[in-house]
Amino acid sequence: MNPIIRVENLIKRFDDRIILNQINLTVNPKEVITLVGSSGSGKTTLLRCLNLLNEPNSGHIYFEEQDLMDPNTDINKLREHMGMVFQQFNLFNNKNVLDNCTMAPMLRLGLSKKEATERAIKYLTKVGLKDFIKQDVRRLSGGQKQRVAIARALCMEPKVMLFDEPTSALDPEMVGEVLSVIKTLRDEGMTMVIVTHEMGFAKEVSDRILFMDQGIVLEENNPKDFFSQPKEERTRQFLNRVIQHI
Amino acid sequence: MFLDVLATLPPQSDFFGTIIYIVQSYYKIILYGLGVTILLSVVGTLGGFILAMGVTQARVVVIDAKRDRLFVKIYKAVFRQLAIIYVTVFRGTPMIVQAMIIYYGIATTGMFSWWGPLPAGLIIVTVNTTAYISEVLRGGLQAVDPGQMEAARTLGMSHRQAMRKVMWPQAIKNALPGVGNEFVVNLKDTAVLSVISVVDLFYSVRQGASATYRYYESFMIAAILYLILTYLSSKVVDYLSKRLDTTAEVNA
Repeated sequence: MNPIIRVENLIKRFDDRIILNQINLTVNPKEVITLVGSSGSGKTTLLRCLNLLNEPNSGHIYFEEQDLMDPNTDINKLREHMGMVFQQFNLFNNKNVLDNCTMAPMLRLGLSKKEATERAIKYLTKVGLKDFIKQDVRRLSGGQKQRVAIARALCMEPKVMLFDEPTSALDPEMVGEVLSVIKTLRDEGMTMVIVTHEMGFAKEVSDRILFMDQGIVLEENNPKDFFSQPKEERTRQFLNRVIQHI
Repeated sequence: MFLDVLATLPPQSDFFGTIIYIVQSYYKIILYGLGVTILLSVVGTLGGFILAMGVTQARVVVIDAKRDRLFVKIYKAVFRQLAIIYVTVFRGTPMIVQAMIIYYGIATTGMFSWWGPLPAGLIIVTVNTTAYISEVLRGGLQAVDPGQMEAARTLGMSHRQAMRKVMWPQAIKNALPGVGNEFVVNLKDTAVLSVISVVDLFYSVRQGASATYRYYESFMIAAILYLILTYLSSKVVDYLSKRLDTTAEVNA
């Protein structure tokens, strides 16, 4: 089966600092990949490069064999197929819950207001927020905001979902409700790339875990071995530090 | 006529008598001037607001070095420079000087038969206010969380769609108190347009003053009227800003 995303020799610099150093990565359909590592290791930058929120300096990113780095590629078109969920939710503050979900499908996919509304209600129901459609987004709790953000991305019916530390800005008691939505998506076969600090969650949902350190993918492993017998010494140190807290 | 005025004028020592006398004798032209001052401020602020959106958009335009075609890059860069120059020039020179240059400049060309103090005044206050409101709008745009733009772009929306549907509505809301403030400023600052004989509040009061030689009392009337105008409109602006802030709460 062809990979959905294939990254080749990706290099990203901020000024003179190398953030991503020759990254290679493939994401296969229905696969869940988590990126873990200490802050500054480049995992969020890598995720943001996948849909060109950050523009890499060189290398290739193929989405279904179309090169995002080619200036002639219509990135807006490709982004329609790559949903993204942010740490800070980034819900549109000038819109209510429903309009947050219907705007892009109407603008980009040509759905009528009625079709977009039906679709939005479908996905808001999935994340458990059907009763909140008229609500102002600023009045939601963090967990509710993040679930709306997931529903908003799903309304484009993307082929891949990218999650950038989706629970890092949440109060601890709200982490569970967001993670359970992501698990549901995994069970339904959604392809996902997730940057997370939740090691228990990474172990549970991932098909593969990528440990990033200083701009490279230092270790790629299945979740079981990653936690029980990591290949690299750096991974072991990292796990010792983060697991101590659990 | 001239002698009549002086004959019936209350003595110099009678301050309130003089004020009442001037109001009674000149209320028509003073009311007219008051109307013109309000007209200049309303047209200047509304027109300035609309034009400022265009100027601001030109200033904040993003050139995509990799994907924009050469032609697009050039026109974006040219319009951005023009917008920057426009704002610099109109904020960097006094409106009284702009008024002289524009009014007499266009008058000497004789291009427009309708050109006169009032149309000129309306245009001058509008182009001047455009520059100031552009600053306010730019601040309003910068105050919108960049995450809003990113979220819109990740859903596939173009930069233009994201600006129109997500960024601008929030920027305008942020900017409305500042725009209201420009209206209040315009109420006072349009007084300088009397230099090109626009019959605004200042000019009309001066008519009364020079006919009676009672400058002090006449301009006390002007001061009170300006104060009432600015006080009332500040209150309205405050009220509207508060209401805007709380619409979210009210709807929810």
